[in-house]
Amino acid sequence: MKTLNQRAWFFVLPVLVLVAFNALIPIMTVVNYSVQETFGDNLFFWQGLDWFQQILRSDRFHAALGRQFLFTGLILAIEIPLGIIIALSMPRQGFWVPVCLVTMALPMLIPWNVVGSMWNIFTLPDIGLLGYFLNHTLGIPYDMTQSPIAAWITIVVMDVWHWTSLVVLLCYAGLMSIPDAYYQAAKIDGASSWAVFRYIQLPKMKTVLTIAILLRFMDSFNIYTEPFTLTGGGPGNSTTLLSIDLVKIALGQFDLGPAAAMSLIYFAITLLVSWVFYTVMTKGDTN
Amino acid sequence: MAVFKTLAASAIFSLFAAAAAAQKAGWGNVGQQQEETLTWAKWWTQPLWGGTWMAWTAATLTVFIFVFGAMIVLVALEFRYPGGQERRGVLNLITTRGDRLFLSLLGAVYIFLAWLGLFGMPLWAPLALSIGWGAFCFWKV
Repeated sequence: MKTLNQRAWFFVLPVLVLVAFNALIPIMTVVNYSVQETFGDNLFFWQGLDWFQQILRSDRFHAALGRQFLFTGLILAIEIPLGIIIALSMPRQGFWVPVCLVTMALPMLIPWNVVGSMWNIFTLPDIGLLGYFLNHTLGIPYDMTQSPIAAWITIVVMDVWHWTSLVVLLCYAGLMSIPDAYYQAAKIDGASSWAVFRYIQLPKMKTVLTIAILLRFMDSFNIYTEPFTLTGGGPGNSTTLLSIDLVKIALGQFDLGPAAAMSLIYFAITLLVSWVFYTVMTKGDTN
Repeated sequence: MAVFKTLAASAIFSLFAAAAAAQKAGWGNVGQQQEETLTWAKWWTQPLWGGTWMAWTAATLTVFIFVFGAMIVLVALEFRYPGGQERRGVLNLITTRGDRLFLSLLGAVYIFLAWLGLFGMPLWAPLALSIGWGAFCFWKV
């Protein structure tokens, strides 16, 4: 029997150290803070599970959680089908392939706070290109600083603009990996384009789609910077997503205990939904 | 005159004595910290290592020792019986020992949170439920 070289394990050590410092130690600290009260100066008083109970029963948390699920649901419902459609309509070879790819990649290169500021200025009714056009040329009242509906449309469109490309690029990579023989066989059998999509392209894209859905779920569920710079959670509380509310509690009110309890509940939700997505989408492969 | 002197001296003396007694009875200790008896519950929840920024307590430390201990046990089991004891359980999922531990812990978190939100303290019932759920995970899932 061949003995395996175990030396490769040492190459994992740097990652382990990194994960310890950017994930493990912070999460341990958050668990510690979630059961204590502090007024600063490293003085802590035991609070038990009061913060958890308070958060679980607070209307403010329920409202933010509802908005968060609405936002993530909208994002997934729009970006995944749109990404697939764009990937299917991109050319497979020739001059336009790199042009399309670079154009697609551009929004993802822009820093998140810049995206928020861009869309903020873009949609302002008096000076923004889109805002001015809608309000003064078309006569549609559209002001994301006044109307919750306009604010919601703006954050959803902004996220679609920013992140659909990720889905497109992943799907395109999946499509490119399909050998021509599959298409030739489909042509010989006289398969419709829907059948080609349903039985050749979609199954071949399944792995990358799993990754795309998981990434888009986690990113949109934990989104902070873009809506914060765009609407700041307003008008009122209408776009206060979970992370914005969390930062308000932790840094605005300096309630570290309740904020820690809330972030653990937040983490548990992200973990469960990601696990369900992953299990459902990979179930076919293991059967 | 001598009688008067004696009376005055004893009056002053008794004043001091009364003040001393009052001091002893507690007025002198008003501003001082009470000497606390360190009960088991206090020790369990008071800050460890004199209050550092990570704010460890014995209770939270135990949680992590339990989780990491469980992972170490899994690693040991993997060395002794390789292959992760893979099987298809009642949920029609193919799970290994690690998956079953993950499900037990995640399920326990949700059982505790649900109980805390719906009924509040004490948490003996969700503890029993979580142990039952964990046993179910390792036995059937």
